[in-house]
Amino acid sequence: MKKESLIWIILGGSCMACLITALLAGLGLFPKGLLVVSVGTAIVCGGLCVFFIRGHLKQLHKMSMSLDSQVLIIPADFRETVLEELTLAIRNFFGKSHDQLACVQEENQSLNLQIQLMRRRKSNVEEIIQSIQDTVLVTDEMDRVVLANESAERLFGFIFDGSNPRKISEIVEETELLSVITKIRQSKTSHVRHELTFERNVGPVTFDTVLSCVEDETGKVVQVVTVLHDITREKEIAQMKNDFVSHVSHELKTPLASINAYAEMLVDGEAQDEETIQQFCSVIQSQAQRLSRLIEDILNISRIESGLIKVNKETHSLALVIRDAVEMIKSYAQEKNIEIISQAPILYDQVYVDRDMISQVVINLLSNAVKYTPAGGQITVQSDLDESDGQVKVTITDTGVGIPPEDVDHVFDKFFRVEANNKYAKGTGLGLNLVKQIVESVHGGDVFVTSTVGQGSTFGFVLPLAAEKVTQTA
Amino acid sequence: MSDKKALVVDDEFHIVQVVSIKLKNNGFDVVTADNGSQAYDLACETTPDIIVTDYQMPVMSGLELIEKLRQNDQTAHIPVIMLTARGFAIEDDQQEKLRISACLSKPFSPREVLQTIEEVLNQSAAV
Repeated sequence: MKKESLIWIILGGSCMACLITALLAGLGLFPKGLLVVSVGTAIVCGGLCVFFIRGHLKQLHKMSMSLDSQVLIIPADFRETVLEELTLAIRNFFGKSHDQLACVQEENQSLNLQIQLMRRRKSNVEEIIQSIQDTVLVTDEMDRVVLANESAERLFGFIFDGSNPRKISEIVEETELLSVITKIRQSKTSHVRHELTFERNVGPVTFDTVLSCVEDETGKVVQVVTVLHDITREKEIAQMKNDFVSHVSHELKTPLASINAYAEMLVDGEAQDEETIQQFCSVIQSQAQRLSRLIEDILNISRIESGLIKVNKETHSLALVIRDAVEMIKSYAQEKNIEIISQAPILYDQVYVDRDMISQVVINLLSNAVKYTPAGGQITVQSDLDESDGQVKVTITDTGVGIPPEDVDHVFDKFFRVEANNKYAKGTGLGLNLVKQIVESVHGGDVFVTSTVGQGSTFGFVLPLAAEKVTQTA
Repeated sequence: MSDKKALVVDDEFHIVQVVSIKLKNNGFDVVTADNGSQAYDLACETTPDIIVTDYQMPVMSGLELIEKLRQNDQTAHIPVIMLTARGFAIEDDQQEKLRISACLSKPFSPREVLQTIEEVLNQSAAV
């Protein structure tokens, strides 16, 4: 039971008790002293009742005032119509709310899809940037690296953390790159190229660097995209091409100069006797042959390198190939009083080779030995069979001037000439490169050289035996 | 033109021979060398009126020879004509610095060599 109800019951009960007491006293059935007490109690109880009733009336008045200010008083004759309209309005309101809710849900779904699509695109773009071999660095307006791919991490030696972007100056030491990024941002330009070279452990590395600005809708530069493409190898190849053209032009012009000059002398009648005329003609012929050999060497190297050379491999005895080559070079050696000793016994040294090519290898090595061996020297040709390894080794040892240690590793390089030995003989620097190409690229063998300055050199090559070749093929 | 002495330097024997014959046939006294070092010694010894030298030679190149000639008071004044088979010409400032009178590219014409020598000698005489 509530406290308020209990008070009402007590007050009501007390009043009733007082009234009954007063009535009984009036009839003379009750003592006077008690009557005074009863009347007093009834007055107090009545007062309390009035106090409580007044409080409740005040509350009711407040509620009434509140209702008057909020509720429209509807005339009785319009009540039904208004009620119908009100019902319709409420239905419309809730109906529209339902439609709007569906619309909002649809928009929400669409936005979610767009967000997913954007996330997928972002992820895809990041994967693409990561997969690019070129170095990609993106910096913001605060010069912080906000995107970098794996190539950038390798090049600059850092780990990219997108959640904690670092200043580019903390990552990149190359001031030239930092400077161009700043300049590009200030100039608001795009697709600007710079060739930058960085020093690395492997040596200088050159980059074709392209920088572009990214602007926001107000035209403010918010990012600079830097892409570095390694062109070190391309530059090396370009340099090699230039060197090749320079060498070839020099080598071709030298015999051509003689041919041109002697022909002009003949035309101008500068050869005053028959003997001189013959000599001039002989020079023209020999220089034309030299030119032809040179062109053939260049073409052969080019054909081997490009895999376009026609190779006619058959089984031959290497000892016989050596014997024929020695015979061809003997007269040239005799002019310098150089003895050639051949120790190439005709054994079962069958090799599966292009005979003309291997013959050229032996001739090139022998003529080289003759060139760099002083008069009275000796050249020894030896072939050794190594059946356990299934190969045959040919060595050509001379008592010549030798090669300085720093040059030994380069003697098979294209156009390489041992500077210190230029005074002993002329050459194009192509002969030994051709030997290497024929032995290694065409026949799968190996070339080698050892040398001591002042004592002589040993050049040689190793070829697989034909039987071994057949076994390998089988 | 007579009584003029020319030094011809080239490691290609045939080039030395053909230039020498052309010059001898036209009244020159000719001395020859096949490298820069040998040429320098001959230049000091004979003091030629003109030197015709190859660019690329063993032992001492044509440029090294000219540098050495210019450092020696006895040979510093000798006009030099250079023959080169290189794929590119000598830089202008280098030619001026070493006072190279003319550069001729190989393949060259002996007629052109003779004509250039005469022009250079005439200019030297005029100075």
